[in-house]
Amino acid sequence: MGEPGREKERPGPSAGAGSRKERAGCGEPGRSLLFPLPVAMVVLRAGLCPGLSEDMIQLLSANGIRTVVDFVSSDLEDVAQKCSLSYKTSLCPQALVAVRRVLLAQFSAFPANGADLYEELKSSTAILPTGSPSLDQLLDSGLYTGEVTELMGAPGTGKTQVCLGIAASVSLGLKQHVLFLDSTGGFTASRLYQMLRAQTEDEEEQLEALQRVRVERVFNIYEVLRALQELRDRLSQQVVSSMGPLKVVVLDSVSAVIYPLLGGRQSEGLALMMQLSRELKTLAREFSLAVVVTNQVTRDSSTGTLKPALGRSWSFVPSTRVLLESKEATWGKCSTQRAASLAKSPRQPTGIQVELDIGNGDVLDPSLVTPTQGL
Amino acid sequence: MQREVGTLPLAPVLRARLAAAGFQTAQELLDTGPCGLSKEIGISREEALEALQVVRQECHGHARTAEGSSSTRKCTALELLEEEQSQGFIITFCSALDNILGGGVQLTKITEICGAPGVGKTQLCMQLAVDVQIPECFGGVAGEAVFIDTEGSFMVDRVVDIAAACVQHCHLIAEAQQEEDHQKALETFSLENILSHIYYFRCRDYTELLAQVYLLPEFLSEHSKVRLVVIDGIAFPFRHDFEDLSLRTRLLNGLAQQLIIIANDHRAAVVLTNQMTTRIGQSQSTLVPALGESWGHAATIRLIFHWDNSQRLATLYKSPSQKESTIAYHITSHGFRDVQPPAVTPSTEGTELNPRKRPRTEEEKQQ
Repeated sequence: MGEPGREKERPGPSAGAGSRKERAGCGEPGRSLLFPLPVAMVVLRAGLCPGLSEDMIQLLSANGIRTVVDFVSSDLEDVAQKCSLSYKTSLCPQALVAVRRVLLAQFSAFPANGADLYEELKSSTAILPTGSPSLDQLLDSGLYTGEVTELMGAPGTGKTQVCLGIAASVSLGLKQHVLFLDSTGGFTASRLYQMLRAQTEDEEEQLEALQRVRVERVFNIYEVLRALQELRDRLSQQVVSSMGPLKVVVLDSVSAVIYPLLGGRQSEGLALMMQLSRELKTLAREFSLAVVVTNQVTRDSSTGTLKPALGRSWSFVPSTRVLLESKEATWGKCSTQRAASLAKSPRQPTGIQVELDIGNGDVLDPSLVTPTQGL
Repeated sequence: MQREVGTLPLAPVLRARLAAAGFQTAQELLDTGPCGLSKEIGISREEALEALQVVRQECHGHARTAEGSSSTRKCTALELLEEEQSQGFIITFCSALDNILGGGVQLTKITEICGAPGVGKTQLCMQLAVDVQIPECFGGVAGEAVFIDTEGSFMVDRVVDIAAACVQHCHLIAEAQQEEDHQKALETFSLENILSHIYYFRCRDYTELLAQVYLLPEFLSEHSKVRLVVIDGIAFPFRHDFEDLSLRTRLLNGLAQQLIIIANDHRAAVVLTNQMTTRIGQSQSTLVPALGESWGHAATIRLIFHWDNSQRLATLYKSPSQKESTIAYHITSHGFRDVQPPAVTPSTEGTELNPRKRPRTEEEKQQ
């Protein structure tokens, strides 16, 4: 073969057709980071690239070559010889090589150097305040766009409250849109209104802020995936009318939709969970959104301590994890004090703890607790 | 439609075959057509047609959901606020409890009542089944109730007592206020009417319970006036005789999601009662709600009933809009009531049942 180097190349993580179209449509140099789709098995179709005709495809599939991977990883001289044995047409090796070059160019990922990456991050990442100064301090000044942040805690520890606080602060303070995917029925507009009223007196502003928060009720995994897909379509077509400049997507809670799928003899659960995680991460990255998810905690059967739900596979998905705990749980004494500790973070040391008050007004906090040992 | 094949609700075997054949997006599937699809994957034409129908529905499904019951699924917070403010609550006749709940039991949410045996969970459920039927002019939601009983603790005679007291209370209010629509509403608000609008189901084990809950949406579409679904004893069928705990967690989570869908789509309040169990810690043991940690996330609002000497207390433990607080309540022969008479307007003072309440509480204490 004339290109020994190319033989070894595999179009491993290939960019799917979707992001390709977005690149063409956007025309923004900032979006040069392609997020690869792991399944690199695109079916060969006529018109996929110039030179790939219907006849060629028929011949190739007769010899067991159906996808791009098959084509690129096969020995082209062999293929040409086998195909020329058929009485219809013969394939000349040069045509095959040309097609292969085009396919490789189309489906492989581009390497980017670190400096470009850094420049791009600097220009596209934003840090969003969560509405609670000590939580901001815990998160290294706020929610970073382009990343998935997770809030976990036992029932009643204030996960939904913190999410509402984030929605209030982003829609009122930054005047950006928020998408709230509610899978537990816990979203209460009156509580959001209460928080907004505590932050500003102006009624007009309150109503406008309420209009910037979009709520979608999604009660199973397919609805979540569909909602995310619709969001992606809307954003990539840059339909500004109803969505506006979206900055935050909140999914409350992710474990409610995934738990029924995991375990037992079901093989689907893990795959769907990973699909969801991929959707969330690519959304965050491509459109510079901050994605916030809430998760449950379960009790470890052997040690009796609390650990985050959804297992090890999910633990790699969010880049930052915050654990919310309530103080002393006795039925008589009720308080609105909560403790938030950092369980995973790419920027801060873990184990930092702060106090939150998910009180009547908004999510305020009186003090900052000094870093404790471990979690 | 760039929807990935892996995110479509198809059968796992079919999905595996599609992935092996190299299909990536839904658009490719739709372009291939049923014949090509059946040839490439090796399934029958009918199966291919069915699969394509599912795909088409999913992709263009968002146009479909614009009409119909799921239209409330997507809205802005402002619209939701208006909806919430115009929604009624189901009062419990105990004004302290109504206050800490923010007006009463909320529609479209799941409320869970946990408590030790004998503290009054079933009493509250029966009270709510009657209260949901109070006509709108008296401050109720004028709905019907579905009562799913797993423990067999539903006593019709008790419901008769509660309903009679409720009707009498409404009569007294109507007499005091003398309004036209009050009289009209009272004609239909009678004992027989109340009892005939409580739909009672008895489920003996968890299979029956799951089946009943999954069949509820059909029932609710036929009886569209139902505003309350009570499951008295959700813990009972899942606690004894269940070896596989992970199966239990999965079933409970699926059940919770189904209940949320019912609450949301049919604008009904779902009330569940749960038992308590003891958690043995390092130095002490505490009473916690049964069914484990993950079940705690199922209910949006959680009330815990407990005793303090001989006084019954209710604590709001989890709520999206109200603070945690504790109040005391009483159970009288008329049903669920406050401990002390609430501050009432002069017009209804004469109609208060208080003078008769106190002697009865002495009897309660002795019991």
